[in-house]
Amino acid sequence: MKKIEAIIKPFKLDDVKEALNEIDIKGMTISEVKGYGRQKGHKEIYRGAEYVVDFIPKVKLEIVVDASQVEQVITKIKDAAYTGKIGDGKIFVLPIEEAVRVRTGERGRDAI
Amino acid sequence: MDVIGPSYSPLPSGKELLKALRREGLSGMELLKAHSDIVDKWLKHCFDRIPEQQRSGIALVALGGYGRRDLFPFSDIDIMILYKEGARGWIEEACEYVFYPLWDSKREVGHSARTIKECIGEAERDFFLLVSFLDARFIAGDKALFQSFRTEIDKSLIKGKQKEFSENCLLHRKRRLEQYGSHTYLLEPNIKDGRGGIRDLHSILWTAKVLFGVKGIRDLGGAGVFTEKECLDIETAYNDLVRTRNWLHMVSSRRNDQLSFEYQLEISRLLGFTANVGTLAVEEFMKGVHRALSTIGSGTDLFFEYVQDQLSPHKGCKESKVLEPGIEVLNGKIVVDDIARIKDSPLLIMKVFYYSAIEGVPLHLRTKKIIRQAATLIDEPFRSSKEVSRWFQDAIIMARDPGKLLFTMYLETDILTRYIPEFLHVKALAQYDAYHVNTVDMHLIQTVQEIGFLKSTEGRLFKAIPFVNVLYLAALFHDIGKGYGTSHCKKGGRLAESISKRMGLPPDQRETLRFLIENHLFLADSAVRRDLEDEDFILRCARRIKAPDRLTMLYLLTVADSKATGPNAWNDWKGALVQDLYLKIAHLIEHTHVLDPDRIRAVNWMKEELRRILKDIDPDELNLPEDYLLAFTPEAIKQHLRLKGRLRTQPVILIPEDKGSCWSLLFMAKDRTGLLSRIFGVLALENIQVLAAQIFTLKDGTVVDTLDVIPTVKRDFSEMDWNRLEKGLEKAVAGRLGLPHRLAEKYRPLMGTPGPSSLIGGRSEVTIDNEVSNFYTVIDIVADPKIGLLYSVTRTMAEFGINIYRAMVATMGDRNTLSFYCLDGYGQKILDEELLDELKRAILYATECVS
Repeated sequence: MKKIEAIIKPFKLDDVKEALNEIDIKGMTISEVKGYGRQKGHKEIYRGAEYVVDFIPKVKLEIVVDASQVEQVITKIKDAAYTGKIGDGKIFVLPIEEAVRVRTGERGRDAI
Repeated sequence: MDVIGPSYSPLPSGKELLKALRREGLSGMELLKAHSDIVDKWLKHCFDRIPEQQRSGIALVALGGYGRRDLFPFSDIDIMILYKEGARGWIEEACEYVFYPLWDSKREVGHSARTIKECIGEAERDFFLLVSFLDARFIAGDKALFQSFRTEIDKSLIKGKQKEFSENCLLHRKRRLEQYGSHTYLLEPNIKDGRGGIRDLHSILWTAKVLFGVKGIRDLGGAGVFTEKECLDIETAYNDLVRTRNWLHMVSSRRNDQLSFEYQLEISRLLGFTANVGTLAVEEFMKGVHRALSTIGSGTDLFFEYVQDQLSPHKGCKESKVLEPGIEVLNGKIVVDDIARIKDSPLLIMKVFYYSAIEGVPLHLRTKKIIRQAATLIDEPFRSSKEVSRWFQDAIIMARDPGKLLFTMYLETDILTRYIPEFLHVKALAQYDAYHVNTVDMHLIQTVQEIGFLKSTEGRLFKAIPFVNVLYLAALFHDIGKGYGTSHCKKGGRLAESISKRMGLPPDQRETLRFLIENHLFLADSAVRRDLEDEDFILRCARRIKAPDRLTMLYLLTVADSKATGPNAWNDWKGALVQDLYLKIAHLIEHTHVLDPDRIRAVNWMKEELRRILKDIDPDELNLPEDYLLAFTPEAIKQHLRLKGRLRTQPVILIPEDKGSCWSLLFMAKDRTGLLSRIFGVLALENIQVLAAQIFTLKDGTVVDTLDVIPTVKRDFSEMDWNRLEKGLEKAVAGRLGLPHRLAEKYRPLMGTPGPSSLIGGRSEVTIDNEVSNFYTVIDIVADPKIGLLYSVTRTMAEFGINIYRAMVATMGDRNTLSFYCLDGYGQKILDEELLDELKRAILYATECVS
């Protein structure tokens, strides 16, 4: 089992969700996150007031899937989240040791 | 019903008992009383099993809710064994007879055993214990002992301490509301401990008992606090809440007083509510709940205000400032002397609120009553009075806390719904979504309050708004179109239009108000759903909003609305996105040329034409840049779109055309860094001089260049070997042509000379601007035309990793003007000062020294 963490642009969330639906990924965890990478924060001045943005808003998706599905999921996210501009995001893959469905106690692949 | 079997049979659960009682046709309060009676009987039975001699000097006492006989399905059974000092020896054993069976029945029990002295000692320190004693009720045992407990409590803890008691009551209420919600209009209210909940009524009853010796709700009418009708309303509200809480315990199968969405649905179904036009059954049900909560909540406010007034040390002494005859500020409250004054001149109703706002003091309780009674005087002339309108608007703008002012105007005096009858439709209207925590009416009032807060935190933005009143009215009306079953933005806009017309707002303000209400979700929605880097989208926003001050108002309204919606609707994350969108539009909207109606007309015409000739393709979906649309004929664009498909198999497309005085070249390829320099390099190599050029990059990365060129070596158009040029371009684009050395070789004889064309030596100028465009760094160059100038400049830019998205080349007089819209390798504007300086010097050098 692997966990796929993707950091994407907020407005791309629906597209990514839809794309993942197509390959039958039904569950994911979404969080609103802020941060920076190559796309740094910036400072703007408007009518004499200074607006500083240190961290840029992004959406983080977390999906746990069977290892065999990882490539497919990565491709879907990559294609759907792409705009070609800076700040399109990143995808990380992490190993998962165990999964347990709380309600039934099922474990491993059955629990995801 | 009889549930009392042999003494060892356990007490059935409250849920079972109430189910059975309900089947017998009981409901509401009756259920609680019957439930309590059954428990009494069962406990008496247990008590009777205490051996005779151990029973003397003991009394079984019900406390708190059980004392009041308000026993909900999952209420605690709160009992106390009261005993004389002499019974201490056997009290422990006696208790076992009562408490053990109760515990065995798995009931939640509040248990204690105390002597009268202990009662007084503990209640002195514990206010909650004291109030539970106020509701104490004798169940079994030594009745005389219970009587003296009562007398002692009264003597030691109540007499002479009434004021302290009511202050304590008020303090505990304040703390309770902080914990459980200080609004009656929460969408998931706590109907016991929240504002207007059952506990609020108890606090009235305790205080009334202690201060005025009254027992029930109805007696409060006699005590002069409430009118008969108000008593009746409160009683009805209380019964509604009791009924709801009963069901809430039943359906949640535990002691739960939080009326969350899932239970609302179930209870509304159980109570047989039905859907209405534009509202769901559950919304109808919740309307009733909120009405009840709000009746009790405001009743409790008024009651304690009355009590404080009665106990006030200021009573009798006066600190007065007369505002006009009959209206004054007295001890920090607005006071109207008599209702007759209002009857003579009903417009004063609104003026009183205006005074309250400018003096920064609330209305006195009696004045609120007078105003409430006078509310029926509000008629059409009142509603269309310009004076009233001005007082109303000034009051909400100038009030220190406009939310509080509106709250008094709305719930405490009923003026708001009289003045703006449209408001009635959203009264206590619930909204089922994941964001809102308040009913619509309260959400509107809270939005105005948020605007009030923004006025101090965003003062700079406020200063730019010519009509602040419109912003306040937009906040107050933005959701007024809810509950009609249609788009609430559109409906709200229409309603606001007619309200503001009645209030006498001038047409331009009405138009702005309507615009703000119709678009109040636009920024918040777009900020998360749209690509804020998409220049054309921002441009469309700017055109929709039209003017900077409207944008600022819309932004402030968006922030206030979101903050008032609830914690899920607003956080730093969303705030950063909305602010980003706001600033992007703000920068663009001040470049008036993009709002030029002629330009907009031209763009629309082009789109229409394209739609006509492209047939199956929607030009909106192609997302073509506006400048591109405006640079070509519809037929030319159609040709580009058709040619684009060939780029899948062919790296470059070259279409030359003879234009007489010059040749025009259409060049298409997929974008890559340095593409432009390679094109210009090949052209220089082929003795072709560029007079003018328009370079566009479409959204999908296709580059469309049109170049007006002339040959530097005289040649006929037909003599030109276009195939060779195309091959050269192909090679160069693929990176298989060494341009620098070829150019160097070709022009070595001319090195250091002005070149073949006649040149006037002049200094080149390079300006790099980040203000002109919000999305691109714009590099403008004015230089003398030299062989390979374009190549040299663009190649230098490519070396810096800069991508060129749009470019214009023109020949003005005898100088070349070049304009490049570019971004760095990461797709960001070039902002680093040091880099900008370096870049400028590099480009200057490139224009001077052509290699």
